[in-house]
Amino acid sequence: MDKNEAVIQYLLQCSQIQDNPLFFNFLDAKDDNKQFITVANDKRLNKTYIDGSVLRRYTFTIVDFRSVTYQAMVKTAGYPNENFEEFLDVQGIVDWIEEQNDNRNYPNFGTDCIIEEIRTLTDNPVLNGVDSNITPPLAKYSISIQIDYLDISKKLFH
Amino acid sequence: MAVNPFNLADGQRAERKLLITVAEWKETVGTSIQVTREILGTRTEDSSIDYNVDIETTTDIRGNNYTDVNKSQPQQEFGTYLVLGGSKLGPKLNDIRKRNALSELSQFTIYVITAYIGNATDGYEAERHTKCTISYESLGGDTNVNFPITIYLSNMDDTTTATAALGHAGIGTVDKLAEDFTFTLDV
Repeated sequence: MDKNEAVIQYLLQCSQIQDNPLFFNFLDAKDDNKQFITVANDKRLNKTYIDGSVLRRYTFTIVDFRSVTYQAMVKTAGYPNENFEEFLDVQGIVDWIEEQNDNRNYPNFGTDCIIEEIRTLTDNPVLNGVDSNITPPLAKYSISIQIDYLDISKKLFH
Repeated sequence: MAVNPFNLADGQRAERKLLITVAEWKETVGTSIQVTREILGTRTEDSSIDYNVDIETTTDIRGNNYTDVNKSQPQQEFGTYLVLGGSKLGPKLNDIRKRNALSELSQFTIYVITAYIGNATDGYEAERHTKCTISYESLGGDTNVNFPITIYLSNMDDTTTATAALGHAGIGTVDKLAEDFTFTLDV
């Protein structure tokens, strides 16, 4: 299976992603739209084992657009701050990835790949910026994720 | 016996995976004897067979050197031998470790397959050493549990009296590069 497709299928299990449109590489940036992009893509690490297997790393980034508000935090119950709520929702993706790794639930990269670990590069979403020229203003959050896996396709003995 | 050339193009280097070490052992299961094999080297980045050749050099009064090679005690260390799901040798060694049944560590057959000599049709050159010892060195590590091992090759093949009498490993070929290979001694 193509790794991009495998990761998309995998991400669609996450409730924060299921509820909102997910795009690949290109999207119409608006509130709650998510973009799945490959950044460093798939590369071989400098670890080759004597049986011919190779450790590889697949890296991708999820970009999440959220509308922002310029209202101050209000302590009164029942008046949640939108920015805070949105951030927590995006944080849910990071937490979900960590939970899946703990449960060893990984994308299906096929029989020639043994996934070792999936993890986010930061413990929180990164706020890349806010576009105030549109209405409503949009915040761009990103989460970079890497998957380390053993590629056994070049192994001589099986 | 003819010396076979490497099956490589001029200047081509042999990939490390073409030198294969296989451990084999027998176990009684019910009334039958089951032979199990494991290809060693999973998650090992670097491992070599050290021949530990014992050399003695003397110099006569005219200044000439005479070198005797007395013996060779080959061994191969797997500094990384992780406790891995699907491993067969790991559980076997761990069982021996728990029972402290040290004598059982010397009941392994080791094949050294040089897949850079030979081909799929005629087979790949290999050596068979019987009554080899595999010792475990430690158990633990940092992120993952490591169970490093060292293999001591016997230089002996007691499978047939002919090869046993020669005092060296059985030399032959394996028909394929898969765990269920058949080893055929050279005649």
